[in-house]
Amino acid sequence: MAVSTSSVVLKSVRKSFGAVDVIKGVDLTVAPGEFCVFVGPSGCGKSTLLRLISGLEEASSGVIEIGGRDVTHAEPSERGIAMVFQSYALYPHLSVRDNIGFGLSLAKLPKAEIAAKVGAAAEALQLTPLLDRKPKALSGGQRQRVAIGRAIVRDPKVFLFDEPLSNLDAALRAQMRIELTDLHRKLGATMIYVTHDQVEAMTMADKIVVLNGGQIEQVGSPMELYNAPVSPFVAGFIGSPKMNLYDGAAAGMTCKTYGIRPEHLRLTNDNARWTGTVRHVERLGADTVIYLQVPGLGDMVVRADGDANPAIGAYVGVSPLVGREFHYT
Amino acid sequence: MASRQKSPYPYWFVLPAAVVFVTLFLVPTFASFWFSMTRWDLFEAHFIGWDNYHQFFKEPFLVQGLVNTLIYAVLTSASKSVLGLLLAVLLTSGILWQGFLRSVVFFPVLVSTIGIGITFQALMHPTKGVINIALAYVGIDGPSWLSDPGLALYSVAFIDLWKGVGLATLIYIAGLAAIAPDYYEAARIDGATRVQQFWRVTVPLVRPATVTVITLSLIGGLRSFDIIWATTRGGPGFSSDVLASVIYKQYQAGFYGLATAGNVILFMLIAIIILPLTWWFNRREVDL
Amino acid sequence: MTPRQRNTGLIATAVATVIFITPFLYIFFMAMKTKKEAALFLFSWPSEWHFWANLTEVIQARNYMLLLAYFNSTVITVGAVTMLIIFGAMVGYVLQRRQSGWNRVIYGLVLAGLIVPPAVVPTIWVLQGLGLFKTIHGMVLIQVAYGLAFSVLLYRSFIGTIPRDLDEAARIDGATPWQIFFRVILPLLKPVTVTLIVVQSIAIFNDFTNPLYYLPGKDNVTVQLTLFNFQTQFQSQFNLLFMNILLVTIPPLLVFIFFNRQIVAGMTAGGVKG
Repeated sequence: MAVSTSSVVLKSVRKSFGAVDVIKGVDLTVAPGEFCVFVGPSGCGKSTLLRLISGLEEASSGVIEIGGRDVTHAEPSERGIAMVFQSYALYPHLSVRDNIGFGLSLAKLPKAEIAAKVGAAAEALQLTPLLDRKPKALSGGQRQRVAIGRAIVRDPKVFLFDEPLSNLDAALRAQMRIELTDLHRKLGATMIYVTHDQVEAMTMADKIVVLNGGQIEQVGSPMELYNAPVSPFVAGFIGSPKMNLYDGAAAGMTCKTYGIRPEHLRLTNDNARWTGTVRHVERLGADTVIYLQVPGLGDMVVRADGDANPAIGAYVGVSPLVGREFHYT
Repeated sequence: MASRQKSPYPYWFVLPAAVVFVTLFLVPTFASFWFSMTRWDLFEAHFIGWDNYHQFFKEPFLVQGLVNTLIYAVLTSASKSVLGLLLAVLLTSGILWQGFLRSVVFFPVLVSTIGIGITFQALMHPTKGVINIALAYVGIDGPSWLSDPGLALYSVAFIDLWKGVGLATLIYIAGLAAIAPDYYEAARIDGATRVQQFWRVTVPLVRPATVTVITLSLIGGLRSFDIIWATTRGGPGFSSDVLASVIYKQYQAGFYGLATAGNVILFMLIAIIILPLTWWFNRREVDL
Repeated sequence: MTPRQRNTGLIATAVATVIFITPFLYIFFMAMKTKKEAALFLFSWPSEWHFWANLTEVIQARNYMLLLAYFNSTVITVGAVTMLIIFGAMVGYVLQRRQSGWNRVIYGLVLAGLIVPPAVVPTIWVLQGLGLFKTIHGMVLIQVAYGLAFSVLLYRSFIGTIPRDLDEAARIDGATPWQIFFRVILPLLKPVTVTLIVVQSIAIFNDFTNPLYYLPGKDNVTVQLTLFNFQTQFQSQFNLLFMNILLVTIPPLLVFIFFNRQIVAGMTAGGVKG
């Protein structure tokens, strides 16, 4: 399969719908061949940013470059991109074969060439036996693959994915994460992937872009974001269960916000930093998640060993691991 | 910004339709306001102010056309909604041959009005007509349905009802299907009789369909022309003339300005009746 | 089925037969009778069946006028319905997909098109100015102008159920607006299109008023006009008049038998939206 790849560069990109600013000045560089994930809560502008790159929406100001070419005002089809939609957006009246080959037939490619390209994509995605079916007759995972196939035959320099796994059940989602990562490795193309699921972001990304309120909060590799989140927002967004965040003064610090991850707290009896009442215990097997009520601080979540099983109402002491605390001013 | 993207939904898609609609519908509609104030032979129009309108409201037969239009529209609309609802209730109650009966009631809607008109002319013939022969069997001396000046309009309204009630029934059947059976079950648990269920559940909940039926049949009734033209041609005399037939007669006689004034009056009449009605229906809907 | 439902059904069928079917049986019987027997106007079994004789006589009347009328009506119906489908879908598409001030204007005009009675004499004046008065193409365009509102409303509400993602996927696949519409959207509109074809064909085929105004004269007669004119011509030949009625009743009957579902869908949708 052809390998072609491009960088994507955004320079002070803004987008407003009427009086509402949805993207408030974004600068970003996605390197060629990178798997870049946009994450953030709903309404943070991640889908809009993807649509700006695709050309389905036009930037209000700023510059978008793909492969070094200014495409800010180019039509979507002229940008060398392909997109996989959350709903898959398969044409219901066309067979799998015609769905995958639709763009090629629009481009008036010779029939034999279309057939060859569709065949190759179908082969790679194990769709060959389904080529003559209509989308209606496919399972969710198969539809997903057809959508990917339709993207692949365009031979794009950049793949765009808009929450492609959110319509699948948990098991299929885990499998598709692996397949997509494999596909990225095989094609080596640049991929930009939007999700609200931080697990997808952590497991698939080379680079994660955390968006909040139409602005980039932080850009980095998954582990950079985990180890050094620049703000309480990023800290709270990456990692599960969520990081405990407290008002600095209440925690007895000089900082504005103090944070400590549940997995970086230890139950201890001597020299405990805090003591709290056990409110609730979730035993997950490998580990146990303990919900404490700490006087002066409020709720605190602790991730302990699978063996830990404190009684509800018990009084326990906890301390943070050295070097794992976050202080935000 | 040099090369803005073009919308994938360009307005020129509207263009072919707009050209036809504007030239053949909007332009004549706006022009009618001007021509209704002229004496006009299609080539030359002399402005005569409100004279055509004066004439319309002064000539007794023109006034009668206006009154007849109202009677006809209210009568057909009311009878279609009442009978349509009753038929719809009957035809959704799971009776024998329900599907066939629905088709039978609906089919006249699709048949040529002219054909129906001629057929009823024969059926309603005062001496040889099937209706009066049947009435004679039970000892009733049937009237001259279409040639009695006091009766003609009502006979035509009856034919209109016969032809159009199927559409009202169809709309009501769709409306009834949209009422969840839970309401009837709840009403039955509360001890409502069938009659009470009809008045307390069916009638209020089928309201959207009622609004549709009344609005559609009123507009249709006010504009009605072909059924009248095919049966009585407005006669005897002017006894069954309505605005639309008056307009045609004036047009035939070459009074184009007067005919157009009639058109404007019909337009105004529909607006005066339909707009407040729609507003009233919508307001009531919010209250519910 | 309870006994009560069965009995109500039987009674209802009996009443409906008398009220709704008798006139059609009457048409049928009259069409078969001899000239003399038909003149009696009776609802009776024909004593002699003159089907072929009456049929050929009606068709040959006034130099095969009926055939010409069928031809004209068919041309008008096919032409107008084709344009109503394509133009109506295009307007409904833009109206549904694009949200802007213009759309409110267009929508208002569409509703006006449903309610406002056409101003006939000024329309004749416009047609005459364009050289379209008394022509078949003029008639086609008139039917398009008058039928557009219904088509647009029906298409608009149906297009609302087609996800925009499809348009966008096609855009990314490199489709022009024209291609998105004709290769992706229009094929998906098939259910409404079938409904509209059936409903509008019947309406246009049965139309009497508009040909009466805009298509006078003997050259471009339509089916309904011919029937109306035969009324005076066949004053004493009711068998032929009713044979003619039978002939204009059969096409809608066939359409009704084959497209019952689509007609019901269209009529109720049109009603509810209207």
